Amino acid sequence: MNKIVLIGLILCTGLFSSCKKWLDVQPESEIAEPVLFSTETGFMEAINGIYNKANTEGLYGKELTFGTPEALAQNYSMRDDGQDYRQTSLYNYQHTKFKERKDTIWAGLYGSIVNCNLVLANVDVRKDVFTGVNYEIVKGEALALRAYMHFDLLRLFAPSYLVGATAQGIPYATKYTKDATPMSTVSGVVDSLIKDLEAAKKLLAVDPIRSANYKVGYPTVKDTTKTTEEKSPLLFLQNRRHRMNYFAVCGTLARVYLYKNDKANALINANEVISSNKFPWTSKADFEAFDESKKDRILYKELVFGWYIPSMAKDIKEKWFQPGTSGLYLITDAADYIYEKLTAGAFDSRYKYFISRSSNQSSAFYEIVKYRRNSIDEGVNANLHYLMAPAIRLSEMYYIGAEALFPTDPTRAYAYLNQVRSARQIDDKLTVGNEEEFTKELLKEMRKETLAEGQLFYMYKRLNRGIVGQTGAIIPASNKIFVLPLPSDEIVYGGR
Amino acid sequence: MKLTFLYNPVFSIQRVKCKLLRVMKLTAILLLIGTLHLSAASYSQSVSISRKNTTLETVFKDIKKQTGYLFFYNGKVNLTGQTLNVELKNVPLEEALKACLAQQNLTYNIVDKTIVIRKLPSSSAMDDNAVRYLEITGKVIDNDTDQPVPGVNIAIKSDKLLRGQTNQNGEFRVTAQVGDILVFTYIGFKTKEVTVVDNKPMVVRLETEVNTIDNVVVTGYQTIKKESFTGNAITMTGAELKKMNPQNLLASIGAYDPSFRLAQNNLAGSNPNRIPSINVRGSSALPSGDGEVLRRDNFTSGANMPAFILDGYEVNVQKVFDLDVNRIESVTLLKDAAATAIYGSRAANGVLVITTRAPKPGKLRVDYNYELNVTGADLSDYQVLDAKEKMEYELLALLYDGGKQQMSQDYLNELYYHNYANVVGGVNTYWLSQPVRTAAGNKHSVNVEGGSEVFRYGVDMRYQTRPGVMKGSSRDQFSGGMNFMYNLKKFQFRNELTVMQMNAIESPFGDFKNYVRMNPYYPMTDANGRYVQIIDAWQKRDRSYDYVFNPLYDAQLSSFNKNDYSEIIDNLSAELEIAKDFKLRAQMSLTSRSFTDDRFTSPNNSKYYEYATDEIDEKGEYYSGQRKETFWDGNIRMTWLKQLGGSFFNVVGLINVQSEIKNGQDFTAIGFANDRFTSIGFAKGYAEEGKPNSKFEQSRLFGSAISANYSFKNRYLVDATFRMDGSSKFGVENKFAPFWSAGIGWNVHSEEFLKDNRIISQLRLKASTGLTGSVEFSPYLSRTTYRYNTGNWYSTGIGTVVNNYGNQNLSWQKTRMVDFSIDLALFKDKLKIEPRVYRKFTKDILANITLAPSTGFLSYKENLGDMENKGAELRIQLEAVSTKDYSLILNASFVSNRNKILRISNALKKYEDLANEQQSETEADGGYRGIPLLRYREGQSINTIYGVPSLGIDPENGRELYRKLDGTLTYDYDKRDIVPIGNPDPKAEGSFGGSFRYKRWNLFTNFRTYFGGETYNLTLVQRIENADPRYNVDRRVFESKWKQSGDHTFYKNISDIGETEVNSRFIQADNLLNLETVQLSFDLDQKYTRRLWMTNLAFTMTANDVVRWSSIKEERGIDYPFARSITFGIRAGF
Repeated sequence: MNKIVLIGLILCTGLFSSCKKWLDVQPESEIAEPVLFSTETGFMEAINGIYNKANTEGLYGKELTFGTPEALAQNYSMRDDGQDYRQTSLYNYQHTKFKERKDTIWAGLYGSIVNCNLVLANVDVRKDVFTGVNYEIVKGEALALRAYMHFDLLRLFAPSYLVGATAQGIPYATKYTKDATPMSTVSGVVDSLIKDLEAAKKLLAVDPIRSANYKVGYPTVKDTTKTTEEKSPLLFLQNRRHRMNYFAVCGTLARVYLYKNDKANALINANEVISSNKFPWTSKADFEAFDESKKDRILYKELVFGWYIPSMAKDIKEKWFQPGTSGLYLITDAADYIYEKLTAGAFDSRYKYFISRSSNQSSAFYEIVKYRRNSIDEGVNANLHYLMAPAIRLSEMYYIGAEALFPTDPTRAYAYLNQVRSARQIDDKLTVGNEEEFTKELLKEMRKETLAEGQLFYMYKRLNRGIVGQTGAIIPASNKIFVLPLPSDEIVYGGR
Repeated sequence: MKLTFLYNPVFSIQRVKCKLLRVMKLTAILLLIGTLHLSAASYSQSVSISRKNTTLETVFKDIKKQTGYLFFYNGKVNLTGQTLNVELKNVPLEEALKACLAQQNLTYNIVDKTIVIRKLPSSSAMDDNAVRYLEITGKVIDNDTDQPVPGVNIAIKSDKLLRGQTNQNGEFRVTAQVGDILVFTYIGFKTKEVTVVDNKPMVVRLETEVNTIDNVVVTGYQTIKKESFTGNAITMTGAELKKMNPQNLLASIGAYDPSFRLAQNNLAGSNPNRIPSINVRGSSALPSGDGEVLRRDNFTSGANMPAFILDGYEVNVQKVFDLDVNRIESVTLLKDAAATAIYGSRAANGVLVITTRAPKPGKLRVDYNYELNVTGADLSDYQVLDAKEKMEYELLALLYDGGKQQMSQDYLNELYYHNYANVVGGVNTYWLSQPVRTAAGNKHSVNVEGGSEVFRYGVDMRYQTRPGVMKGSSRDQFSGGMNFMYNLKKFQFRNELTVMQMNAIESPFGDFKNYVRMNPYYPMTDANGRYVQIIDAWQKRDRSYDYVFNPLYDAQLSSFNKNDYSEIIDNLSAELEIAKDFKLRAQMSLTSRSFTDDRFTSPNNSKYYEYATDEIDEKGEYYSGQRKETFWDGNIRMTWLKQLGGSFFNVVGLINVQSEIKNGQDFTAIGFANDRFTSIGFAKGYAEEGKPNSKFEQSRLFGSAISANYSFKNRYLVDATFRMDGSSKFGVENKFAPFWSAGIGWNVHSEEFLKDNRIISQLRLKASTGLTGSVEFSPYLSRTTYRYNTGNWYSTGIGTVVNNYGNQNLSWQKTRMVDFSIDLALFKDKLKIEPRVYRKFTKDILANITLAPSTGFLSYKENLGDMENKGAELRIQLEAVSTKDYSLILNASFVSNRNKILRISNALKKYEDLANEQQSETEADGGYRGIPLLRYREGQSINTIYGVPSLGIDPENGRELYRKLDGTLTYDYDKRDIVPIGNPDPKAEGSFGGSFRYKRWNLFTNFRTYFGGETYNLTLVQRIENADPRYNVDRRVFESKWKQSGDHTFYKNISDIGETEVNSRFIQADNLLNLETVQLSFDLDQKYTRRLWMTNLAFTMTANDVVRWSSIKEERGIDYPFARSITFGIRAGF
């Protein structure tokens, strides 16, 4: 009997030690974190995944581009309210739909940030799997995206730097954990942003977009002397402007420095984008082409960075910007006011091609057609460019430059403004005025340029200026408007 | 020595050839074991001889004929000298030889299929002894019935030699010496010992052994004497279960032991394709909080299910649901920790151990079983209006009142007269009877078995149709099995192969509720007898229409919904006696199952009626799904059974390994040209943004356990079990989990002071405790996983995003059980009383924990949540009358369980908000307004009903008066005032009944009852108070509603068209008495069956759910009606 027990015991110990491994079952239809990050491809897929998550409807695919911030900036008319933004435009922050959208933004951006953090937690450990510039690209983009999204969270959910640098901001999440990250002050967040972005900028110095061979152009143009954006044999390194490239980091830095009122650094970064001469102004022929498929409504080549959103095409066409007044539109008076039809606006190609006059039985109005695709052909060749959600534009770099220059060199500041205006076929040159006049002009230009792109609201907030209504009435600046309340889950479960 | 062949040489050569062939055949079998089952038993090894005054030579010839064995003997052996009487039936060869030779001073040896006969060495001594042999005659009769018992084995205790058997009339004739003790044994009777005094004819009365299987407990790994087991288990035989409900095994287990509780599903009714949700001794699982809002009456969570063990390997509930009850030997329900702990991480919700019949040795036997099952829908709970009454009600409800409806009076008048014309024209359709039918299902099962002690075989086949009461629904099964056992002295080997095909079809008639609401003045067909698609259209204020579609139109289209599975199970086991008292057993079972699921919706279906013209090519839909499941379950166990003085040990040590792989894929295609093309190939393409889906799941389990059962002088009992389980589902940090149990018991009746006590025949006290677990969660929760976004590539490639926060510390749910029980039997076991009390404390229930969204996750899984179930069980059995012709046995079994949630996660608290939100939305918008939902609050039962307390209808103004949380009264319904308003847990529930026998007739009845609980009567709300007058309603709608100031009524203001929300006004006491089973059976006397070449023939008639008395008048079976059924059965053995 003793023998049997002994044999049994030996068997048991043997089995136990080997079966721990046997019990380690790997999922098949999903992939476990350590397995994903064991190859270079895995890191690339994880990076693509961040963009994939960010280009959904609740984030940059709709909401953060032409949803909530645009409604808050009074860029839409709300008569029929088919899209349920009326209460948002009235700053009713208790409205159910508003809360739902705002909570999705918060949860969605932090959900994307976790993906950045997981990449960053693994990238240095598995540095050995990378080839070429991929390590720098992966790490740089993850750092920059983390900052980019935190910055948008800060601009929505915290007071502006101008009025509340020391006030409570948002949590700056840098770790993969289930424990809530403590809140940082607004200036604390801004410092973290600058740190991450500067680090990203260093890493992305090797970005292929900086090479002279990288030519920005339309994807439908096959001539490689005009565009090389899709030339790289590695899909991951194509279309750099669809991802957080070196210049996108510069652009974001320019935004952040300006938010911090560090005009010198803002200017340096804005100028770095401008002086690279990577991003040509859109030609009149492309902007105004009669043939829809030859038209560039989105000013594709001027995009320093944009989100690739073809999956939104159907909803844009049939829902959000549907013809008629059930979609997002502008009443005639508002459109005329925004684009200054009576003064310089009549020739502005943005007035002509971002919006389009239409009418129904009861009234005439302007549909917003910036994102409209050629209705005959819905494929890639529908237009000159992909369907994009613009994130950073060349023109904004001029505006940042102008704002940074104004205190020291108002003439050059006005020159920057006029350069954008002339690219939009406005021949009237603005003449140098005082600071208030300059800021007003700048805001007007920004509004025209970034209509339905979700940037204007942040500018009012940064400057702590009253929001200009649809036809000029001013809604006074206040943190009640500028600071969106935190999601109640965040307050309850994060102990805020 | 001169050897003589008894048979001619030619024949013997033939025999050798035969033998050679048989050796080859046997080798072939051994080679093909596990894949093929061959029957090779051309000769049995037992003999039956019945001869009087015969000679040995004749007997040897008989034996040769029956077994094929040869005889060798020398000339000294006198085969014809002495006469002898032989009366043997189905006796093993060796015993038969002993019985024949013992009186003849001969002995034998068996050498390789040859029997060598010799004289006993000291013949003189033997001769002296022979003088004292007496020939004893007598008769054996059944003590209960006074009938003679044929085939009783008679042996002498001292040498255990079989001396003979009783004949057809129970008579026997054996030789024995004075002082010998004769032992009479027969299956089903208690062994009787009689000392030989003289040779006077004796009458031996055998007492029936009540339910032999009752005396042992089969835990699946061990068989333990009930006398010495401290665990709590209930054993039912296959025959008993068949008596309860021949069609539904799960229902009959529930009827036998009410602690095995089948959740009532008021929506699914008696749908034959709906597998019930089960819990044992109360619920121990909380929903994890990520699912949708749950309706109270449609709770189908699987997390509470007990583990099902079939012949030693684990199966799912579906397998048990589809099992043929005729194949079942016994079912044991293990309830407390002492009984279940050997199953470790699967044991917390109880374990149901099923053993199927092993083939019995003997000549080829054929058992045939036929059942005809007639079911009819039970519509007695539906009381709807007829055409005339409905018109009357519509007028009363001001449906045609222009002012109230804000529509043109002319239009309403036209509508009224249009409908009225139908009523006058004699249209009075009883819509309820349209989709239902009286269905007849058949079951044929054949079981063939036989073989020798060494090799036995069994083959069974079944064909069963189970049509449901809704037209077109059915669940048909075909199954076959082959079973063989090879039994050498120290080695046993068994293989069982079963194959099954199940085809389930859902009724094309759709939900039953669609028929209930149809107005009786609607005709079903047009003048030509064709079904019309649109029966009516109610105009709305905005001039659009609410169409009333004819559900019968959709039913006659070619749409279908069916799912099939085929299953192959092979179960292989081997047992080796490695030393005395030591047995090693290894078992391996492999299950492979493949499912297909096909659902087709015809393009003509009414749901496409309002499709716009550009969607015209998108009508019609086909869903196709496939799933493959592969399980294997293996175990090796060593048992040690030993008696040392007064100590008795029964110890088992085991290792158990399990693996489970599920692999499924499905896709949906849309766009069908017409109703005729029902094949998926005719589809236009995938649905927009539709893509194929697939799912792969794998999990593994490794466990090892040791369990010991010890009794001292059958007085003091101890049980102890320890199991270590490893599961791939556990967190990386917690791969192994320990479980244990301990139990003690005291057989008071074995003590001196109670021995031979006249009143108390059995008194046993038991107590047990232990820790068991449950791992009912999906396999990868403990890991951080990434999910690929295959439907949405980014311009620079495919992306993957993190799916969940993997909690590496995730562990199993732990249940701590404490159990006290008493087994008391009085008056020679005529009255048995078995009370038990228990407490089941479940902690670390897996729950979703809501996180601050800034962590990037909304929730993660954590072990948080405690629940308690306390209860008592009582079983009483009384053998009231027991005589030759009559017997009456009464049974009652009651259970009371109290459930209490002790701790829940924040996700479930948050779930209340979701429930509140859903309760504010109307059903039309996908919400659950007016329907009580499951909610969870600490301190309450998991089943508690929540709503706002109501004081009734204010006679002043007809509005409902509510009580707010702070005690003040209000007319306004506020969801923040929702409190517990009713507890549906009955004070007690149980079943009782009796079995009455008169000669060969047997009447069995079983009632089910529960009382003391409460329920929310939805019918009163939806079909009376909030009834939509445009559709048919409950008859009670005419009961008084509030009309003017001063009316004291139950129902609110008749003109209030607002929807009544969940409140305590509709809470009613829920008491039930249901005559669940009535069975009448008759078995034919063997005198007659013999003439039909049958060994037995029995007829049964079973009626299920015959009458039902309930304190609540509520519509039952919303989507599918409940059914009543009668089963006629014939059982014949050949």
